[in-house]
Amino acid sequence: MDTLVTIDNIRKIYKRDAFEVPVLNGISLEVERGDFLALMGPSGSGKTTLLNLIAGIDRPTSGRIVVDGKEISKFNETALATWRARHIGFIFQMYNLIPVLTALENVELPLLLTKFSKKERRERARTALNIVDLGDRVGHYPRQLSGGQEQRVAIARAIVTDPSILVADEPTGDLDAKNAEETLELLRRLNEEFEKTIVMVTHDPKAALRAKRTLHLEKGLLVESVEAGASPALAVP
Amino acid sequence: MKYAHLIFRNIFRNKLRALMTLLLLAAIFFLVATLLAINSAFERNDTGGTGDRLVTQSAFSLANMLPFAYEEKIRHVSGVVDTAKTQWIGGYYKDTRNNVALMAIDPNKVESVFPDYKVPPAELAAFMADRTGAIVSEALATRWGWKIGDRITIKRQIFPFDPQLTVRAIHHHPVQKSAIWLQMPYFQESIGNFGRSDMIWLKVAKTDDMPRISQEIDALFKNSNDPTETYTEKEFTRQFVSMMGNVKVLFMSVSISSIAMIVLLAAITMSMSARERVTEVAVLKAIGFQPRLILTLMLTEFASLTLLGGLIGIGGAVLFYRSVDAGAATQGLLENFRIDPQTTAICVVLAALVGIIAGGLPSIRASRLTVVDGLRRVV
Repeated sequence: MDTLVTIDNIRKIYKRDAFEVPVLNGISLEVERGDFLALMGPSGSGKTTLLNLIAGIDRPTSGRIVVDGKEISKFNETALATWRARHIGFIFQMYNLIPVLTALENVELPLLLTKFSKKERRERARTALNIVDLGDRVGHYPRQLSGGQEQRVAIARAIVTDPSILVADEPTGDLDAKNAEETLELLRRLNEEFEKTIVMVTHDPKAALRAKRTLHLEKGLLVESVEAGASPALAVP
Repeated sequence: MKYAHLIFRNIFRNKLRALMTLLLLAAIFFLVATLLAINSAFERNDTGGTGDRLVTQSAFSLANMLPFAYEEKIRHVSGVVDTAKTQWIGGYYKDTRNNVALMAIDPNKVESVFPDYKVPPAELAAFMADRTGAIVSEALATRWGWKIGDRITIKRQIFPFDPQLTVRAIHHHPVQKSAIWLQMPYFQESIGNFGRSDMIWLKVAKTDDMPRISQEIDALFKNSNDPTETYTEKEFTRQFVSMMGNVKVLFMSVSISSIAMIVLLAAITMSMSARERVTEVAVLKAIGFQPRLILTLMLTEFASLTLLGGLIGIGGAVLFYRSVDAGAATQGLLENFRIDPQTTAICVVLAALVGIIAGGLPSIRASRLTVVDGLRRVV
């Protein structure tokens, strides 16, 4: 396996009016291609901020982030947006589907930024929906779907461009146990069968168990790294 | 085009709000189209005249009449071919809503000074032979079913006199579609031989001489009790309009106020719409939509909404005024009234601009929104 993400001594400080709030205090880690990484920690530990930095929707105050050989921490906003469209698939806690679009149109959205023809876009969106087992719901609007189905549409949207990394922020946080289980199983399939690299933020230890590796953060520092089936061990920055 | 469905769905995401906004926009643009068309009608000043006529009136106001004797003096000014004293009477047929532009003229002057009324010679002769005869417009004859020989009564408006007329001729003036001529002697006798009229029209030999002739006529009466002002036909129409105050400024003010009002109302609606979609915009940006694309999509959406509302209003105005005779309704004041292509084009551009201006700020805010800030609301 080769390294897909390299995070080197990242710091992130938010400015709130006159105050500076340090969120990440010098984190270094590597994510291998095909990894399924869970980020855990109490609220305010910086796990979502770390996820956002890996996904390129936020920029570090200092430090270096290299994804698939590109140092994205040096990218400007425009370059980052272009890069995200090609390399990142997002899965959110609240699904965040566009309510006025059907399941198929929601999944097609990221493909609008590509040069695919309408026919190609529709074919790829249908394929993605079939992967998440929603091929029979293409014409349904989000309001016509259950929470679990909405999240699966969101996952189809995340994978439709065949991105390098899937980032998931509490993907089961708004689901009941059954739908949470189905979603986690779907993520596992995407990781194992489709070899998708996944970085997932979760509060749920059961969800974290599906990951190959779990990192624990506290007060902006990486405090523990646990391989699946192994005992907890201190992380080495 | 590949974003068209996204724009269209967002316009109608809240159907009731979209419908109310469209109705409001349509109502405002109906009003704006009307006002601009009225203004345009005044500006156009297309009386359908021959271009070789001047008109002399009192320097004080149209309400001050000029002595009949002035006509003879004017006829002797070098370059004047013929003259015709006329009197605006006004009135309505049966109902006060049925205004007509009733005017008195010496019957032998219709052909020589107003050939643009295109009265058939035999009918003109019949008019000249009948003291209570009338020349009515083709439009009025069609509207009221008047035929040659019919007796009609026009109800008074200014003078204590309800003319009882016999239709002797039908004119085919291209613009003056609510004009009725009656004989000056009949009018004078009916009001007590006043010996004055409000206008003296004159036909000139050379249009290049018009400025000189105007000056000479006004100089003739400069020191009299009834000084005059002489204008071209177009300038006269403009003066006539200005009697009602600065109508153009008034109408433009109302138009601008209406536009400003709709910009503010649209801005409120669009801000609400944009605010509801903060998270969606953040998601679009997260999956790679550039700020410029977000700005373009939102501005297109808002401009499309106002454009659609504007088109409904303008289209409604065009259809409505096709069934309304503005000239007759205003006693000939707005004979030139129509929602012309230029007015339509101005309204369409204004409608799109309203969307861009009103939606500008919320669109810019949305495009500048950071993904993290946008997602923080729910994540």
